[in-house]
Amino acid sequence: MKKFLYLVVGVLILIFVLWLFPEPMPEYIPERDYIDMEAEILESFILAKDSSVIQLPEGHFLFSQALSLDDKKHLTIRGMGMDKTILSFKGQVKGAEGIKVTQCKNLIIEDLAIEDAAGDNLKISDSDSIVLRRVRSAWTGKVSTKNGAYALYPVLCSNLLIEECEAIGASDAGIYVGQSKNVIIRNNKAYYNVAGIESENSSNVEIYGNEAYENTTGLLIFNLPQLTVYGENIRAYNNTIYNNNIPNFGVKGSIVSAVPKGTGVVIMATKNVTFSKNTIRDHKTVNLSVVSYELFAADDDPENTTLDQEAENRGIRSVDSDYTQDVTYNAYPKDILIHENAFENKFSFPTLSNDYGILMFMKNKMTIPDIVYDGILPKNIPLQSPEYKICLHNNGEINFVMMDAANDFENFSNDQTPFDCKMIL
Amino acid sequence: MMKVSINVLYILLLLLGSCSDAPKVTNAPTAKRVVPSQPLLSQKTNEKQKLSEYGFFEAPLSDLIPNPRVYSYEVNTPLFSDYASKKRFLYLPDATQMEFSPTASTLRFEKGSVLIKNFYYPTSDGQERIIETRLLIKEKEGWKPLNYIWNEEQSDASLNYIGADIEVEWIKNETHIQKVNYSVPNLNQCKNCHISDSDITPIGLSIAQLNRKNPLLSVDKNQLTFFQEAKLIKNLPKKNNWSKLPVWNNPLTGSVEERAKAYLDANCAYCHSPKGSAKNSGLHLNYTEINTRSRGIYKPPVAAGKGSGDLVYDIIPGDPEHSILLYRMKSKDPSIQMPELGRSLVHEEGIALISEYIQNLQKK
Repeated sequence: MKKFLYLVVGVLILIFVLWLFPEPMPEYIPERDYIDMEAEILESFILAKDSSVIQLPEGHFLFSQALSLDDKKHLTIRGMGMDKTILSFKGQVKGAEGIKVTQCKNLIIEDLAIEDAAGDNLKISDSDSIVLRRVRSAWTGKVSTKNGAYALYPVLCSNLLIEECEAIGASDAGIYVGQSKNVIIRNNKAYYNVAGIESENSSNVEIYGNEAYENTTGLLIFNLPQLTVYGENIRAYNNTIYNNNIPNFGVKGSIVSAVPKGTGVVIMATKNVTFSKNTIRDHKTVNLSVVSYELFAADDDPENTTLDQEAENRGIRSVDSDYTQDVTYNAYPKDILIHENAFENKFSFPTLSNDYGILMFMKNKMTIPDIVYDGILPKNIPLQSPEYKICLHNNGEINFVMMDAANDFENFSNDQTPFDCKMIL
Repeated sequence: MMKVSINVLYILLLLLGSCSDAPKVTNAPTAKRVVPSQPLLSQKTNEKQKLSEYGFFEAPLSDLIPNPRVYSYEVNTPLFSDYASKKRFLYLPDATQMEFSPTASTLRFEKGSVLIKNFYYPTSDGQERIIETRLLIKEKEGWKPLNYIWNEEQSDASLNYIGADIEVEWIKNETHIQKVNYSVPNLNQCKNCHISDSDITPIGLSIAQLNRKNPLLSVDKNQLTFFQEAKLIKNLPKKNNWSKLPVWNNPLTGSVEERAKAYLDANCAYCHSPKGSAKNSGLHLNYTEINTRSRGIYKPPVAAGKGSGDLVYDIIPGDPEHSILLYRMKSKDPSIQMPELGRSLVHEEGIALISEYIQNLQKK
């Protein structure tokens, strides 16, 4: 009992110290000298015929309204470089997006930056064969919940390449690919976002060579319920995901607002995922976690399960506690192979700013785990049954946790042996 | 979920967890106007830059006195466009005719024909200020929309693709000075209303709309009769088979219900009809629709989102205040209002008519 009191007092002192020195939120403040070429640029977007090139000059261009492209084919929009051609929507009065693309085919957007849209900076929907190359999508100033949701947001697309892009300051996800298929996300950087990179309900996705750092969470591979399609076949390799510890500034009720800060990677409710040869380090809650949607849906704080109408209109994904009604949705991860990754941590103690950190502090000998598996499975399915298998292999000396979250952590365990397996995906 | 025995800590953490973000500045920064030194788009357009280049009207252009082969036309019930008045003309190339087709909702036009619609407001000095002239040009591939915005001096109008917001002061009923932030649509927005299936198409060039007198053509003749006698239209059915849309604000032309349906036809049915872009809503307000549920009566919304205003049916007979249709007509919120485009003011007289119509409908 005395021991427990010491612990409580110690923790209280720690909290008091943290309270005295709050974590600074990061900021991105590039130098800007805006010019107005809105009429001509708007006109070029409207008039562009199929198979043409819109060449944007150097300059920091300010817009009062969204730019849109609808039903165009073989179009290229090219700037003079992401540091030189800046399209800023700061204070826009019309439209929510910065650039909105619908129903296009064979579109290339490259060498420019998009900043400060009221909603998403770049949203592409219902389109096919899209390349985003060397595009920096950012919100300037101190990161804020009022920033737009998604920096680069292709949704319901196919044949998509996102490379050498940067995403900064998104209040939901920086690079967010939703309900799409045949996707390559490579050699990008994402920082100062709530989620750095997110693959949601997408299939045949390759994520490699990316760097995600100083987000709340680095990489999310998710399937969410009640959507048009569910994702599978995802490979993430050679990525570097580190130091994603910034406070969660997501909109209350959004799915990402439920992810604790200091979470490197989350693989949730999806199947057929190979996660290999990545470096994951320096996270205050957990380096990598494999979880079911139940863990999110079970959050009984009403503040976290309702999203206001305004946020919903912005397309932010909310936590959906009625997911069980969606019979086509599988809430549990299956066929997940995690091998040959490098895990490190410079932090010694888990953060006490969220339930998971506290749980690890209490139950995991004050150690931050490298890999956590929630162990939640469908009714009557035992752990590691063939159809819901998780394999960990050759990840070096790691701290592994099987939470057994479904049974109040009764069989909380650090034993990796049942999960040391290989599978062919 | 996490039943860890540390509730005290948890509460403390919650207390400390509040965020200290400063509100984001929404004011736009200033920007100096710069024009590109090279064209942004490597493609040529051959469209006329000025309205005067077409030669539709005699000089001075702003008097809108038509040259030969340009004819005035009037409709029975027009679309409400923020109280703007409209002067409509059609240009028919030499030796061409309009053609009636029983299978099409509008008259047919030959290549080179142009529909010309001028939007203007009466001003306090007894003059008229023309804001824009919209053209629909019939090309080989189909109809092409183009917009021209008039200059302050009213000497000519210039081609505009990107739309504009123009502050206009005007005088209503010759007494009340009003202000409107008039919105000229951009080229993409033209399509929103002028699309049927996937083709751009004129609105209002139907027998039912044109079946009326037009003093600018003839003091005593029906407009269609004038076109017929001048051999400007072919294949018209016999005169006693011409349908006629009531004039929404003239009680001599129809009952409240008939005029309300005419108003809904002109203001809603370009989208809300079986071939319109809002067909998925299931709400069909074309004058000829007879299914009461399709007309909105006791019909729940399909995908209105917040546009439904938490109301249950498009129209509740006898209860205009709880009918979504009227709620959206009254709104000026862009995410709620109907029509979605071309209206920033509320059409009070239109609302009065629709309100009376819903009030009079028989309850179930």
